[in-house]
Amino acid sequence: MSQAVFRTIPVRDLIADQLLDLSKKMKLSLSRADMLVVQEIFQNEGRDPTDVELEVIAQTWSEHCKHRIFNAKIHHTLNGQEEVVDSLFKTYIRSVTEQIMRDKPDFVLSAFVDNAGFVKLDEDKAVCLKVETHNHPSAIEPYAGANTGLGGVIRDILGAGKGSKPVASIDVFCFGPPDTKQEDLKAKDVIHPLGVMRGVVRGVRDYGNRMGIPTVNGAIQFDDTFIYNPLVFCGTAGIIPIKDIAKEVKPGHLLIAAGGRTGKDGLKGATFSSAELTTDSHEEDQTAVQIGNPIEEKKVGDFVLAAREAGLIEFITDCGAGGFSSAAGEMLSEVGGEVWLENCPLKEPGLESWQVFISESQERMVMAIEEHNLPALQKIADTYQSEMFVLAKADGLKRLKVWHHGSVVCDLPVDKLHGAPRREMRAKWSQAVASEPQVAVRPESWTQVLKTLLGDFAIVSREPIIREYDHEVQGNTVLKPLAGASGDAPQDGSVIKVDGSNQLVALSCALLPEWGKADPFAMGRACVDECVRQLVAMGANPTRIAILDNFCVGNPDNEKELGALVECTKGLAESALAYGAPFVSGKDSFYNYFITDEGPVSIPVTLLVSGFGVIEDAQHVIGSSLRRVGSKICILGETTPGLRGSVFAKYTQSAGLNGVPTWSDETNWANYEKYHALVKQGAILATHDLSEGGLAVALAEMAFSGKAGLKIELENMPASKQCTLAEILFGETPGRLLMEVAPEHVAAVKAAGGIVIGETTGERWLHITNRSSTVIDLAIADLKTIWQNGLTPFY
Amino acid sequence: MPHALLIKFPGTNCDLETARALEAAGFSAEVLPVALLEPASLDNAQLVVFSGGFSYGDYVMSGRISQLITKHKLGDRLKTFVANGGYVLGICNGFQILTQLDLLPRGSLIHNTTGRFICRWAPLKKNGNTSPFLKALPDHFELPVAHAEGRFVGESGDAEQYVKDGHAALLYGKDINGSSAQIAGLQDDTGRVFGLMPHPERFIAKNTHYDPDWNGADFGWGYYLFKGVAEALAA
Repeated sequence: MSQAVFRTIPVRDLIADQLLDLSKKMKLSLSRADMLVVQEIFQNEGRDPTDVELEVIAQTWSEHCKHRIFNAKIHHTLNGQEEVVDSLFKTYIRSVTEQIMRDKPDFVLSAFVDNAGFVKLDEDKAVCLKVETHNHPSAIEPYAGANTGLGGVIRDILGAGKGSKPVASIDVFCFGPPDTKQEDLKAKDVIHPLGVMRGVVRGVRDYGNRMGIPTVNGAIQFDDTFIYNPLVFCGTAGIIPIKDIAKEVKPGHLLIAAGGRTGKDGLKGATFSSAELTTDSHEEDQTAVQIGNPIEEKKVGDFVLAAREAGLIEFITDCGAGGFSSAAGEMLSEVGGEVWLENCPLKEPGLESWQVFISESQERMVMAIEEHNLPALQKIADTYQSEMFVLAKADGLKRLKVWHHGSVVCDLPVDKLHGAPRREMRAKWSQAVASEPQVAVRPESWTQVLKTLLGDFAIVSREPIIREYDHEVQGNTVLKPLAGASGDAPQDGSVIKVDGSNQLVALSCALLPEWGKADPFAMGRACVDECVRQLVAMGANPTRIAILDNFCVGNPDNEKELGALVECTKGLAESALAYGAPFVSGKDSFYNYFITDEGPVSIPVTLLVSGFGVIEDAQHVIGSSLRRVGSKICILGETTPGLRGSVFAKYTQSAGLNGVPTWSDETNWANYEKYHALVKQGAILATHDLSEGGLAVALAEMAFSGKAGLKIELENMPASKQCTLAEILFGETPGRLLMEVAPEHVAAVKAAGGIVIGETTGERWLHITNRSSTVIDLAIADLKTIWQNGLTPFY
Repeated sequence: MPHALLIKFPGTNCDLETARALEAAGFSAEVLPVALLEPASLDNAQLVVFSGGFSYGDYVMSGRISQLITKHKLGDRLKTFVANGGYVLGICNGFQILTQLDLLPRGSLIHNTTGRFICRWAPLKKNGNTSPFLKALPDHFELPVAHAEGRFVGESGDAEQYVKDGHAALLYGKDINGSSAQIAGLQDDTGRVFGLMPHPERFIAKNTHYDPDWNGADFGWGYYLFKGVAEALAA
């Protein structure tokens, strides 16, 4: 006969220092102020807490679960001027979305209230997207960390609404450079960037491929600052009938847990990810990393979708950080209820009560059902061979009461459990004014510069990695990550069809950590622009685009790092509002720094904007690869000075001195609307957005389809007068679209503001002239070889 | 309307698009989770399909556990089904399962020579014209492949023999995964049992080709594979 294993922890008589010591000893990641509130809760209850209760509070209040920094009151100083930001989330994220929801009714169906927000696809279907980070687990155990990172976000989608069907995944990584020297690693036990990259890619591969969800989109950044603390973003998009979005737990509902069994893997992941990494993390925190089993998740996924179709699910959520305590705690947060831990099948005997309740063992979902539907649900579970059991029952008494083998191991009022105290923080940012806006760089050979950039890790083909992901399963991938006439040229994103709808979904992502080092505000704006622009380029209706914000930050207690975050968030909000692109979900990850032998190394504040847009007709899907000989090459959008943050700047120190490029969101937006009208007219053959590497790289990439060569004359290139040749060729001004247009449509493109800069030719050659003198002159095949082979020696 | 039964194991993940493809080609299609499978399940079917995916995770040899479960559940029913004129199709993981079920000439599908999963389009060519599954297809066509264990190996000389005698009804147009004699698909003596590594169900509509200007036929090549069986059943 088993019995509950728990203990009572005296806290009522401790002084503040002792409370903080207790928090550290138990690895609760709770601050002194938090612990004083905890103490007060139990003084009011008239008893001391159990270890289960302290762990539940720690998980529930963790940065990971409650996003307390995004909700904090921040005293921010910008260029010496003080201001108070009363919650970054409310001020810059939620208010922007609410404004757009007022301006564009009937587009966003829900935001910020569920696992993921929903956008209307057609009259009866909605689409959602969620992106999560799994940075710390991937740092200490790359394969398992990334594996369960993707597994976790897939469950987010299965738990969105009453159960959404996952249809596509996105994966974005930031690693140290693959050619980092082993002796340059400044801490013991840190895994070399190559080991991290290979482990992470294989982890994503083995989960995504086994689940049968196409991994269609992604990005990789390489920088020294990510050696110790790599970033791993995993995202999944889902589809659901609109009628199945609203969900509610009512008193009398049974809470059913389904899927994998519960074990000691993944203990305290939520609190582990809410603290910095050290060499000790590689030793001590291994149990915080979960172990993935995609087939278990495939079974529970099939079960959930069948149960939703049968109309049995009233509410569903996934078991993520905090395990049952978080899933059941959230589901019972309004009504309260009783939980029975002894019903839970275990992977191994001997788990203590707190371990059962907070374990983050993977592949588990919790759903609420009407009690009379239990036999019907069990039958579907049996059909798909997924284990399920009754975890809890909602009772309306507004307490979270947890039983284990006849003992009450946790009994907390739900309002107190979810009433984490608010933080106050300080932030500071000084924006350097660009001192020398015009920098003339005259390399000996522009052709050589282009070759160098095409071989840069920021630009080289990701083909070795993309081919390891099944990006075609489900049979709906229309625009593939590698496409064009030979099926190996880069695209701006991906497009998938949706079963039962004639609307398509485009997916893309943007991150520019290099910009953020100099100008986080501009980075916030540029990320929105790039993401929106890629979606528009692929044929999405610009007014039907939704985006997600995922922030990764180093040490939030460092005023400058938090200041960079504040500025980045402001820029993000400004452009999102200008483009009418609502945030439908997002996530933040803090403490992305590592204590090396030479002190802490923080990541630069990194923003990932991922997004999806609705393409209203399969005829509107536009790829990035040249299709014909004899077409005109046109450009929309003006080039402005500024090379800071560009890939080109890496190779010319002096170029880094001037600022990032400038642009107007309003002008860009007007161009996107004009461009979309051209797409609808059928005037566009192919389009590539100008980003890393600027015009010259984009031209080469378009020609990688092998269908044609290019003859370009820069004289007519729309650019501000101050622009140097370097800026015209390699500058990364946002807002620009490079188009292939059939001759009969050139007049329409010109009328929309497009400028003809060249044509496609029968020779497979890239020939760029400036006022008739040759600037770049090379066979496409030579360029493609450099671009295609850049990553192959390392992966 | 011919009826297709798609057996779904835990980890089978191409069943829905395969059912969709079969329906487009004129079948009625039923996806049956293996927990519900019994010998009588085959009674109404003219075609039994083992779809792609990672049945039971493929952690031991790919398709091994599915083969054991199928044998346990169906005994000889699948063999009598074929003997009575039924058709069996295995795609990717389904092909791996079929090679173990004793329904195809002996041989195995093992790890690609690169040791990696590979997702790409492969040029294909028909070897002979005896397969009803390939009847409606031209001599040369292409389909996507996506597998980690797609390299066909047999005992010495087997692969070459299968090419010569027509058992190897489908070959790659170039080396994709290290497969012996570039074998991409195998059939039994009757031609009614066919397994292939490429995924016809992923190329039904023209616009799922990687080249937006692809114009090889009215539908994607995969459509003609399912159509071929439908026509064979109607004849």
